[in-house]
Amino acid sequence: MSGFGGFVLRRAVGTVVTLLAISVIVYVVFYATPGNVAQITCGPRCSPEQVQQVAQQLRLDDPLYVRYGHFLQGLVAGQDYSTGTSVEHCPAPCLGLSYQTGQQVLDIILAKLPVSLSLVLGAMVMWLVLGVGTGVLSVWRRGRISERLLTAVTLAGTATPVFVIGLVLMIVVCGELQLLPFPQYVALTDDPEQWAWNLLLPWLSLALIEAAAFARLTRAAMLETLAEDHIRTFRAYGVGERSVVGRHALRGALAPVIALNANNVGSAVGGAVLTETLFGLPGIGEELVHAVNVVDLPVVVGMVLVIGFFVVIANAVADVLYAVADRRVVLA
Amino acid sequence: MSEASTVSRTAGTDTTVPAVSGARQFWRRLRTQRAALVAAVVVALLVLVALAAPLLTAVEGQDPTTYHPSLVDSARGGVPIGRFGGISGDHWLGVEPQTGRDLFARLVHGARVSLGVALTATLVQILIGVVVGVAAALGNRWVDQLLSRATDIIVAMPLMIMALALLAIVPSAFPRPVLVTLVIGLIAWGSIAKIVRAQTLTLKGLDHVAAARLSGWGPWHVARRELLPGLAAPVITYAALLVPMNISVEAALSFLGVGVKPPTPSWGQMLTSADVWYQAAPQYLLLPAGALFVTVLALTVLGDGVRTALDPRAASRLGVGTGRGRAGGPGRGTGRSNGARDSGGRGPAGGAAQKEDTA
Amino acid sequence: MRHPSRTARRLAAATVGLVVAAGAAACGPEDNDAKGSSGDSGPHKGGTLTVLNSSPQQNFDPARLYTSGGGNVPSLVFRTLTTRNRENGAAGTQVVPDLATDTGRPNKDATVWTYTLKKDLKYEDGTPITSADIKYGIERSFAPELSGGAPYLRDWLVGAADYQGPYKDKKGLSAIETPDDRTIVFRLNKPEGEFPYLATQTQFTPVPKSKDTGAKYEEHPVSSGPYKVVKNENDGEHLVLERNPHWSAATDAERKAYPDTIDVRSGLDSSVINQRLSASQGADAAAVTTDTNLGPAELAKVTGDKELAARVGTGHFGYTNYLAFNPTVKPFDDPEVRQAISYAIDRSSVINAAGGSALAEPATTFLPDQKSFGHTPYDLFPAGETGDPAKARELLKKAGHPNGLTITLTHSNSKDFETSPEIATAVQDALKKAGITVKLQGLEDNDYSDKIHNVSTEPGLFLAHWGADWPSGGPFLAPIFDGRQIVKDGANFNTGLLDDTSVNDEIDAINKLTDLDAAAQRWGALDKKIGAQALTVPLFHPVYKRLYGKDVKNIVISDWTGVLDISQAAVK
Repeated sequence: MSGFGGFVLRRAVGTVVTLLAISVIVYVVFYATPGNVAQITCGPRCSPEQVQQVAQQLRLDDPLYVRYGHFLQGLVAGQDYSTGTSVEHCPAPCLGLSYQTGQQVLDIILAKLPVSLSLVLGAMVMWLVLGVGTGVLSVWRRGRISERLLTAVTLAGTATPVFVIGLVLMIVVCGELQLLPFPQYVALTDDPEQWAWNLLLPWLSLALIEAAAFARLTRAAMLETLAEDHIRTFRAYGVGERSVVGRHALRGALAPVIALNANNVGSAVGGAVLTETLFGLPGIGEELVHAVNVVDLPVVVGMVLVIGFFVVIANAVADVLYAVADRRVVLA
Repeated sequence: MSEASTVSRTAGTDTTVPAVSGARQFWRRLRTQRAALVAAVVVALLVLVALAAPLLTAVEGQDPTTYHPSLVDSARGGVPIGRFGGISGDHWLGVEPQTGRDLFARLVHGARVSLGVALTATLVQILIGVVVGVAAALGNRWVDQLLSRATDIIVAMPLMIMALALLAIVPSAFPRPVLVTLVIGLIAWGSIAKIVRAQTLTLKGLDHVAAARLSGWGPWHVARRELLPGLAAPVITYAALLVPMNISVEAALSFLGVGVKPPTPSWGQMLTSADVWYQAAPQYLLLPAGALFVTVLALTVLGDGVRTALDPRAASRLGVGTGRGRAGGPGRGTGRSNGARDSGGRGPAGGAAQKEDTA
Repeated sequence: MRHPSRTARRLAAATVGLVVAAGAAACGPEDNDAKGSSGDSGPHKGGTLTVLNSSPQQNFDPARLYTSGGGNVPSLVFRTLTTRNRENGAAGTQVVPDLATDTGRPNKDATVWTYTLKKDLKYEDGTPITSADIKYGIERSFAPELSGGAPYLRDWLVGAADYQGPYKDKKGLSAIETPDDRTIVFRLNKPEGEFPYLATQTQFTPVPKSKDTGAKYEEHPVSSGPYKVVKNENDGEHLVLERNPHWSAATDAERKAYPDTIDVRSGLDSSVINQRLSASQGADAAAVTTDTNLGPAELAKVTGDKELAARVGTGHFGYTNYLAFNPTVKPFDDPEVRQAISYAIDRSSVINAAGGSALAEPATTFLPDQKSFGHTPYDLFPAGETGDPAKARELLKKAGHPNGLTITLTHSNSKDFETSPEIATAVQDALKKAGITVKLQGLEDNDYSDKIHNVSTEPGLFLAHWGADWPSGGPFLAPIFDGRQIVKDGANFNTGLLDDTSVNDEIDAINKLTDLDAAAQRWGALDKKIGAQALTVPLFHPVYKRLYGKDVKNIVISDWTGVLDISQAAVK
């Protein structure tokens, strides 16, 4: 397993380097965005003196590199901070404190993460079923009505922004037909059944956006596999068409589907901004956009890092799965 | 990301290199696909409508920015007066709620922005992606490391957030459609660079490319003469997926308030303000949504057609798949010279193989 | 903080922008009076009231709440020295005692205000509320860790300008004295007849020093009101309030507190909130919203449905949307140019862009059209409903612009239907008729608010709005037109840069009055006098329409807050 150990080590180093680079970029970019952070935190009617006090308290007067250094220090060693009445400790890895609410960024992220993961993992199941299903149908039952309909639905899903799909679904399903209650996040640990019912529409909306890509990918990969020599051999030996398409061709599609899926899952953890907002799911994406609007730099940096982390991890997991699915690939 | 695994994940769909006389063959093959031709006509029409927007609205006698307060019912939130959202001889598709602006004019002018932004942004993405991907694959270890790492960073960065920040930084005097195009183009080239790099690595191993390199041709010549033709198929296929994605991003940016600025119309902006009107004035939502759907459908079908024309092998596969049709053999070598590396090599670029050509 | 209600749906409008005034608006419609008090279906105790909001209650510290934000859910937990009269319409603009026995006893020139606490006031843990706790609550609102409140305390209290709160400065504020447990005395640096209004703010909430945890206090603020916080998830996204057993209705004439439980769900998209309220299924039947108005599209649907239309509360909050001029920028230094634009404005198309005649009323005065502000009707540059382009051209010609004019209008890119692109394009379209070409400059929210409130970057013409911190002319006119409130090195709200001695003197003179009716009249007269300078073009006063669930009773919407008063609502 030394090969696997080496793979993990190289990946870990690569991840850290990538994430650090991202944090620098975010710091620089957001440093340049307009918006007087101290004024926003203090309130619009604060006097210049008060704004100055707030700026001092948030260490906004320090030059950029000092602030970044402080951030790195917190990451490695943690940091102490004052609530006014007492001194609290933010243990390493400390992502800092929100300018706006004074909360520890890591706490905010940990509170939002289950929501985002619930949304993305459920939606993933749906887009895989819908997308891969459509892809298989389009190879196996080419030209039939069912195939064309599904292909059209998935394409329409890709073509329509999620805020339109989601709102219309909600108005029709929850408002007019009253088949489901209006979605409202319930934690999985509180009530698994309610969790699923409430997330059904968000899952569907998000899945519709992504399904078409999977359908097309599956279709292409299957067609390619079907052209390969060993499939010809199977056919020549009289292996049934259903088995050829269902087992052998689908296996060929496995690898690319895994790769695309990893990419989507990773980026949707923080990227399902519009879905989260529309359905009122208190996830990472929604919080991140809010933080951007109020120039809450520590929250933005922390969340972008977490999102980057998920993208990188998802890709690494995909590579491992991929190697398992296809022994010819060597992890390096 | 390690080299081999990247290759295996995102290597291009296939390694077929069209013959040198490909151009003529390409058109010949494309012409045989009815669906692709219809799609091409639709795309051409859309582009034409976008280009001729001022002319079309002049024929209608309207423009996209003039308010018609008398055509909306102010006491009811500004819902258009009259049936079907105020459709009339003067206003072919009705008027916009609240303002009474002409919807036909806004739709065709919106096509300019939406298609313009999406197509140009796609070009930018392809340009950067191809340059970075090819350079990484052909460069030495350090160049590859540097570019691959940069690609990783771009991929791992949440697009929407960086777009929000960048759009806020640039002074408002900068023309918005250009800015939106640049931002989308400059942020979202990661996947295409990965695909191109992987595909180039595969091609590099091919005999004729290797031969060209060995016979002392410079990297530029190799890239231009030997690689680009081989990259065309996956890149074009992926581009067909990128365009609708970019239209969606433009819409999302409008939704977040940083898109193209009013009163300039865009489809994304129309969708953004129209979704709440779904019940009171449905056609306001359905028009831009329908336009977007037709565009995406046409581009997808066309993309499939182009790909098939570039890569006729897929056509033979179709026959194999159903057990009917041509029994064309594998014919062209698949060029799988570097074994394990390309074996599972289908990235998102594989997403569009050939679209149905019902015989 | 002002919640951009129907538009908060667009996340971009997480408006940090110009928070200025109170939340939303306004009053029970005429027919609500009848409904609220009618017949057998009177309100009863019990049940759970659900609140569906777009903005989470991120701040739940009485020190950090701005005037309006404190008026809704927080007012169920925080009692203050004085409070709003919880009545429909104009009656709701009066200030009444809360923890105190009266609205305050001034000395002769209104520079010293004395309050006496009621007897038997208790916190949620049964400990008594003392005047020292109120002093401490005010002091901690000066700490930079707990910023966010309105500027008045700092401006008015003697020696408060540089005070940094009790954490850094243990001595405390000498301007506040507590001679005994039930008495508290405030010393002001100038006469302020409106001090009783100020004492309604959450900064006047008692905070027991032993329970203060600084920046963490908001996780569990100690209740002095009818409810206590039993759950606060995700930084104010989900709040559950239950009865505070130590609160006694005998000491609180204002809060009815009918429901047993208040369940606040926030972070919702505003169109979803309105869909849920109109569907009114399950728990949503007993739901209200304190921050989300009906938008134009929703209004179009609601007006066609009798059942829904009967469940809409209408309010008029003291609020004005206007065009602001910066007279130091050419050509707006020329009063005739400003007047020409005033004549040319087409208020009907602006109102349509803002949501139509049901959601906005034309404004020709800067002061809101309510008696408590001392509203004095005037229309100095009559533009009629759709503008008077002929008169505008004539004035432009006189001003030396016979061939028209090209100007730039700055607006924000938020989606608030106030300073947003929709309104800007309506203005652009209207001025075209008068030969004025308007170029639009749209700025991102933060950029916009930075620029218009900085005297060195303030644009020549921009969209602005102002809302009431309390229903009186003082906080409406003084920050905008008092020359001494021009701030050179910080956030400036006197955007017309008006420094007129006669205006300043009149503001001082009115502040001395403790007869609030007499003061109101003079505010109205002052508004008209300032209006003649054409430093603003009033556009419209918003009207707030809000849906509530089927089972909600006892709807009270005052002109003070404009929102359905959550302390009065019943679900049984």
